[in-house]
Amino acid sequence: MGEALTIDSTLRCDVLVIGAGGVGLRAATQIGEHRPGTRIIALTKAFSPQKSHTTTAQGGMAAVDPKDPVDRPIFHMFDTWKGSDCSADQNVVKKVCDMGWEEMVWLERHGMHFSRTEEGRIAKRPFGGHMLNFGETKAFRACYEADRTGKGIMDTVWAECLKYGVNFIGQCIATEILFKDGHCIGTIIFRFPEGKFLAILAKATIIATGGKTKMYLVSSNCRGNTGDGLALALNAGLPVMDLEAVQFHPTGMVGPGILASEALRGEGAILRNKDEEPFMERYAPTAKDLAPRDLISRAIIQEIREGRGLFHEGHNAHHVWLDLRHLPKEVHEKKIQEVCSFFKRFVGVDPEKDLCPVTPTAHYQMGGIPTNEFGEVQGDTQGIVPGLFACGEVAAASLHGLNRLGTNSLLELITMGRVTGERVIEYLKDAKEPEALSPGAPHMVFDQFSTYLHAQGKEKYAQIRDTLRNLMMEKVGIFRTEKPLQEAIEELRELKERATHIPLAATSLRANQDLWQLWELNNLITVSMVIAQGALARKESRGAHFREDYPKRSDEFNYHTLVYMPQFNEVSFGKRPIDMSIFEAKGEHFELFDYIEREY
Amino acid sequence: MLESYTITLEVKRYDPDTKLTWMQAYQVEASGILRFVDVLREINDEQDPTLAWPSSCEHAQCGSCGIIVNGKPLLACELLVKDAVEQFRTHKFRLRPLTIAPVLRDLVVDLEKAYDRVHKAKPYLIKPTSPHPDGDEYRIAPKTLEMYSEATRCINCFCCATACISSHHHFLGPNATMANMVRLMDPRETAKKERMDILYRENNVYRCHTARACSFVCPKEIDVSHFLALGKEGRF
Repeated sequence: MGEALTIDSTLRCDVLVIGAGGVGLRAATQIGEHRPGTRIIALTKAFSPQKSHTTTAQGGMAAVDPKDPVDRPIFHMFDTWKGSDCSADQNVVKKVCDMGWEEMVWLERHGMHFSRTEEGRIAKRPFGGHMLNFGETKAFRACYEADRTGKGIMDTVWAECLKYGVNFIGQCIATEILFKDGHCIGTIIFRFPEGKFLAILAKATIIATGGKTKMYLVSSNCRGNTGDGLALALNAGLPVMDLEAVQFHPTGMVGPGILASEALRGEGAILRNKDEEPFMERYAPTAKDLAPRDLISRAIIQEIREGRGLFHEGHNAHHVWLDLRHLPKEVHEKKIQEVCSFFKRFVGVDPEKDLCPVTPTAHYQMGGIPTNEFGEVQGDTQGIVPGLFACGEVAAASLHGLNRLGTNSLLELITMGRVTGERVIEYLKDAKEPEALSPGAPHMVFDQFSTYLHAQGKEKYAQIRDTLRNLMMEKVGIFRTEKPLQEAIEELRELKERATHIPLAATSLRANQDLWQLWELNNLITVSMVIAQGALARKESRGAHFREDYPKRSDEFNYHTLVYMPQFNEVSFGKRPIDMSIFEAKGEHFELFDYIEREY
Repeated sequence: MLESYTITLEVKRYDPDTKLTWMQAYQVEASGILRFVDVLREINDEQDPTLAWPSSCEHAQCGSCGIIVNGKPLLACELLVKDAVEQFRTHKFRLRPLTIAPVLRDLVVDLEKAYDRVHKAKPYLIKPTSPHPDGDEYRIAPKTLEMYSEATRCINCFCCATACISSHHHFLGPNATMANMVRLMDPRETAKKERMDILYRENNVYRCHTARACSFVCPKEIDVSHFLALGKEGRF
């Protein structure tokens, strides 16, 4: 590997979407539909947008039809606020809940294959934390396509993009955001097949790279969910927000951690311990198995700690049972067909006859790149970064605060995707074509890749990856305390250093999986450091962030955590206030949008 | 007690830098409940980091990890070691890349190119029917949806197109043809004439020889050939 790394060629477009998942392409379709002729490039790490992680989402999308006789958008807003443990931003909560139904109709009219009621309308099912009359009883609010709702969304927005001539570039990673005079002007990408760097210059750039839980031993995320977008922002000196809030989904399949949708419990499945006791009745007497995910995940670990869990020898893991045996055959075959087949194939149990072994799995990041309610990226609490937008799981607007309700993520994708698309259309009115990059200008990514390609030493990628995953699971997982968090930060420093001594077995740039994964590993370590730092700083328990040494929520921490880390471990903190606009508007039921008690 | 197997993977390798192709054998001691993606990862970790193989979600929902094992196209994430030993009655497995697109390296093929076939089938609603008078969703009876909802489960893994005896010539392939069928059967699509033109084009449904390999290899167990038959019959 002697040759110098260079930019092979430059592409230009009006809008660059980094990450062609549900939200990125919902934004792209909004632009394609309402501003015909816009040149849009959408990047994906996968072969096709259809292979994005969105496609694995199962259960549904919460949305209240304004004409619904029993449900109301304000109940949904309340559930989202309460579910977030009073840390979501109410301007975003209101906007998203108000738009929800309109977006269901948009998806349906653009070809999504929703499951239907006998009357031919979009079918709905209950989901955790979604209730009628401010917490009284479960609400039928999640619109779904069997147990492949994410695939339904993905297929719809991907196909729509084809209609509008969106240019997909697959098998690539965005490696550095480009700026000129404080404006974002695009990104440098690295293509897997040819091993070449390309510059993509754009008037507007949308970061939509999704989530990142691959730093955890048990994770429901796909192979490529390695925090690339967050690392991209951090390396550019931008802040990230609330990363300490990591959602562990209560029911991952024992073994690989594949998701067993909350839809199963929505359809009536029950969690049981080793005595087959339906233990959630003790932890959440009203909501029971449909309590929010953070509560159920902690309850499961509690059961296991107190000796009421089970142990799976094959996968060397503790677990509890999910009981689906009493559900009608029709439900097994039609409504939860995919998940049942996963249990049969991957775990070797038949949910119609057997109890299914489940354990919490790292699933979702509530935090992300801070944006305002229009998807514009905030460089600091003062202002936005012109030309740079972010939406979906990689962003924090924040709809979820420190805990997300099931089905609100897919809802966020289509609502915030559209909102961001609309904002980009506005922005394009006065946006100028970026000037060409000066040839031979230094780029951070070339230093990064040179380090990887010239690394000497005896460290092994797999060892560092596995150490990271175990470390994050044990010390920065569901339950956290000060000392282990401090240890984790020290160990992450060591891992970062060790990762510079992993020699590559082959240094070709072309289709080099080893090189690609090393870049991903570095992103994972970077983002893990921010999670651990945020978790150490937040000395309270709120939503998915639980400190055993500070088990109560504290008003002192009624804010969002901002973390900057322009260089590894050069950490500084900031705060963003929580938006309380529903409460402050003093409208109907405003008192419920104060910092309320959270019981289910 | 945990059952463990000694298996040999003979992998067809390709190096895009030297353009060389060769077979390489890896012997692995693997627990029966591991999936082939886990075994490939273990080979990367313990023996050979240069071996490239595709995957993404690793639970049969994205269709990125299609490979050919002992002649059968399948998803590497779905094949458990113990099931493979039982199904193929051997401890030796020959792994080849899918034949539907150019090989990039080893087991990774350029599925991005294969997707052109699906794009030609226009998987969107070309011309949706007018909105419901109430301004909300179009009504579709569950019975109507049931006629084609199986076909909507397709994840475009191209296992069917690899197995298909016709899709290496001029046929767009079973999955792409089925994508067009979905919209032919979808009551919201009004551009039926354009869809029929796609269906009966030279490269489409009548290039299918009804060998039904698609239905037998489909990892999602979709009866693909049923939907192709409906197309040939003109019943939708």
